[in-house]
Amino acid sequence: MTSLNAIVPMACVTAAAIAAMVAEAFREPGEQMPIGPLGAIGLVGAAIASIVLWNHNTSSFGVVVADNFGLFVTFVLIIVGLLSLAISEPTIDREHLPRGEYYALMLFAIAGMMLMATASDLLVIFLALEVLSLAVYVLTGIRRDSALGTEAAFKYFLLGAFSSAFFLYGIAFTYGLTGSTRLDRVGSLIASQAMAPTPMQLLAVGLLLVGFAFKVSAVPFHMWTPDAYEGAPPAVTGFMSTGVKAAAFAAFVRVFLSAFEPLRGDWGVVLWVIAAGTMIVGAVVGVAQSNVKRMLAYSSIAHGGYLLVALLAANDVGKGAVLFYLLTYAVTNIGAFGVIAVIDSAERPNDRLRDYAGLGTDHPVLAGLMTIFLLSLGGFPPMAGFIAKWYVFSAAVKAGYNWLAIIGVLTSVVSVFFYLRIVVMMYMTPRNAEAPTRFPPVPRMAGLALVVSALIVFYLGILPTRVLDWAAASISTIF
Amino acid sequence: MPFPILTSLIALPAAGALLLLLVRDADERNAALVRNIALVVSVLVFGETLLMWARFDPASADFQFVERHAWIPAFGISYIVGVDGISLLLLVLTGFLTPIALLSSWDSVHTKTRAFCIFVLLLESAMMGVFVSIDLFLFYVFWDAMLVPMYFLIGIWGYDRRIYAAVKFILYTMAGSVLMLLAILGLAYLHSTATGAYSFDLMRLYDLEVPPHLQLWFFLAFALAFAIKVPLFPFHTWLPDAHVEAPTAGSVILAGVLLKMGTYGLIRFAFPLFPLAARFFAPGLAVLAVVGIVYGALVAMVQPDMKKLVAYSSVSHLGLVVLGICAMNTQGVQGAVYQMLNHGVSTGGLFLIVGMLSDRRHTRLIAEYGGLKKVMPHLVAAFLIITLSSIGLPGLNGFVGEFLILLGAFRADPRLAAIAATGVVLSATYMLWMFQRVNYGPVSNEKNAGLTDLRPREWLVIGPIVAMTILMGVLPNLFLRPMEPSVERVLNRYHQGAQTEIRAGLAPNLESPIPNPGARR
Repeated sequence: MTSLNAIVPMACVTAAAIAAMVAEAFREPGEQMPIGPLGAIGLVGAAIASIVLWNHNTSSFGVVVADNFGLFVTFVLIIVGLLSLAISEPTIDREHLPRGEYYALMLFAIAGMMLMATASDLLVIFLALEVLSLAVYVLTGIRRDSALGTEAAFKYFLLGAFSSAFFLYGIAFTYGLTGSTRLDRVGSLIASQAMAPTPMQLLAVGLLLVGFAFKVSAVPFHMWTPDAYEGAPPAVTGFMSTGVKAAAFAAFVRVFLSAFEPLRGDWGVVLWVIAAGTMIVGAVVGVAQSNVKRMLAYSSIAHGGYLLVALLAANDVGKGAVLFYLLTYAVTNIGAFGVIAVIDSAERPNDRLRDYAGLGTDHPVLAGLMTIFLLSLGGFPPMAGFIAKWYVFSAAVKAGYNWLAIIGVLTSVVSVFFYLRIVVMMYMTPRNAEAPTRFPPVPRMAGLALVVSALIVFYLGILPTRVLDWAAASISTIF
Repeated sequence: MPFPILTSLIALPAAGALLLLLVRDADERNAALVRNIALVVSVLVFGETLLMWARFDPASADFQFVERHAWIPAFGISYIVGVDGISLLLLVLTGFLTPIALLSSWDSVHTKTRAFCIFVLLLESAMMGVFVSIDLFLFYVFWDAMLVPMYFLIGIWGYDRRIYAAVKFILYTMAGSVLMLLAILGLAYLHSTATGAYSFDLMRLYDLEVPPHLQLWFFLAFALAFAIKVPLFPFHTWLPDAHVEAPTAGSVILAGVLLKMGTYGLIRFAFPLFPLAARFFAPGLAVLAVVGIVYGALVAMVQPDMKKLVAYSSVSHLGLVVLGICAMNTQGVQGAVYQMLNHGVSTGGLFLIVGMLSDRRHTRLIAEYGGLKKVMPHLVAAFLIITLSSIGLPGLNGFVGEFLILLGAFRADPRLAAIAATGVVLSATYMLWMFQRVNYGPVSNEKNAGLTDLRPREWLVIGPIVAMTILMGVLPNLFLRPMEPSVERVLNRYHQGAQTEIRAGLAPNLESPIPNPGARR
């Protein structure tokens, strides 16, 4: 089957990325070009293509499958992309970043993410991983004159390359064992020998697990996350904390729940420990942070833990939990980082906790939006975060992972503590001398993106039925 | 389709809050308008609760005005609301106290008035939701959603240590309730293994036979959530902080309604859903309740701060309510529900009085006052009536509830009832002693000499409370009759559940070592 249909969504995004690059090359210095809208057109094209492909289960070259699972993640990535484009605008203007380069990198990263979500071959997954990672490394360090940004990019790059090596080793072992890198063949071969897993099989699974764990920043492979999230411009952090995680989880789910499902007895235990550790470390260490970006970095580590629980407990109830959680988390987290990006000013980053003092009085709307996102991250009804967490925990209880569910709910209480620290600062602490005298005005597009995110958060929290059903139906295409 | 009165109880305050969002509030210029809108909305809601009471059939034990809509059908989650005799009066109480709380903040809240009114209305909406939900998932949603507005009320408009108190309040309550969420999930899962479909519908879950070992865990999870909310000794430590630091309106709602959610939850969910485990744990809960009664009273006695004194008296009074529930007989439970209402009215009233005094003098220390009777006779008269109602003087509301509870408790376990009765005596001591130090004697502090008596607005605030204490004391049957069939039904379910399961041999080892309170009914 060499139908090209399955790669149309990422082709749209790639075309937009190339166009952005070309536009940047031909742009007169100082000339304004609508490069952002160009990217948006590419993403909307990808969305239309995905809608057309929905339910068709097309595959290209036998290594890219546009099944509903991949397309659902593609939709999440498109939403992430559109929101990121909108909230990047103020950062680009303020920091005088090269607009074309920035958008081109972001779009290439999205194309890589889409490929990762739809790839059905280990090598293609690796390829996609590299495409998105390289783009994100550069985006992290795009503020070339910022020491913090450079350090973050360098750390991220080194550790990312390290984890890629693990991943590649895992693929090599898998190929050695089964003679194929295609997930379906790997799966059927492993299933036929699964009675007594050999050390080689375990090594292959283990190496792949480490590679994925790095990418989703699961404990103990999370060390790069706070530094990278802190050093990158906040709009980029919002993008990578959601997009990279969504893509990595999509591949994680596909590889482990289809190809390596027969070995669940072995990787299940390891993943249990990793999930518990990720939730606990994310929530507990988050409490001690005084920088909002680092705090949200630990929060996103903790949310990775909940996603791991959802992955582990994927059964007939909780099938859709991973996808629904990814969507909810993506929209909410990008909203929160969007607020950080908007508050960021040219003179100072405004990313410490005490910089938020008095925001509730100065910028009531922005503070209100931030509160909505934080409460949703903390899992309060009627926000989406509550339904998402409930979905994950109900899957866990159903699958018999009672202790993971208990750890999950308790750590979510702990994490509420640090989300509330920001709320306390915004509303209950008078502005101190150190806080900025005036927060910058909110650009229209970014403001719109934040309002849309908040509306989605409420929609998913109050009327989740339709999306829940979609999520459950989508994931049924892979297992 | 009949008018969805219960949904409107939830929706009307929320709609009022949305309406307020549209009012521009630059520099508090529209503060008066905002306050009036909020007040009108809350009075309308109160009117609706009265209308509901008027149309309520007191002879029926069933849920009335039931509305049912599928919400998340894949998981059997529905929007089911209904009201029975137990929740009916709690709804009326909520409707009654909210406008009073808003009125009480008229002169004491000057900053961010619009946000204040929005949070009070959202809180009312969530409180109504908690009391009308018959779907456990829906109940949990409101239960959790309610924390947020209360958190802001304490944290923004509270006194000096408000942030500490607000965070402590929300974390304590959440920590207790998340485990209940897991128990709810477990229950729904159990329902699906038994019948093949998920359900969070309380009516169906009542009929579910939960295996004894799971009952123990589920009951513990539910009871922990409710015990923290009540608060039962030793989970009460959040309460003095939250009460003392909250603004007057917050304290009134917190004491008047929020604490009742804990005891309501015990009656509605924990006891009838898990009768066997409840039988097992009730004696222990009763002991904790009695410890709370005496401990709360003793600690209240030595408080120099009036607000803190009232807060600890709440610990003591709610211990009494839990004792009544644990007795699991008609008198005990009826007395408990009645006492929930009483406590809402009288403790709410005490917080209002303390608020009025501290608005005038900016202190709540008893030692700063003295001889107020000569300066502000009307306020002191109201203070006296509410104090007497709080200590249970016959003829006022507190007596009826306390008497019924002690009667019920005595039939269940005379020893506990005897100790609890000392708590009642102690409450007379600390309340009257406080009243005496504040109001009698010479005007020792000259700052008090020029204080104004009740203003017209304050008459409106305190008048209904005083009227209610007298009405509930003189005509208790007006309030007791509608709840009777529902209370009987809860008791039947509890006793039958425990009996059938024991007879079926499901629970050979679960007989409680302590003589069971319900056994002698």
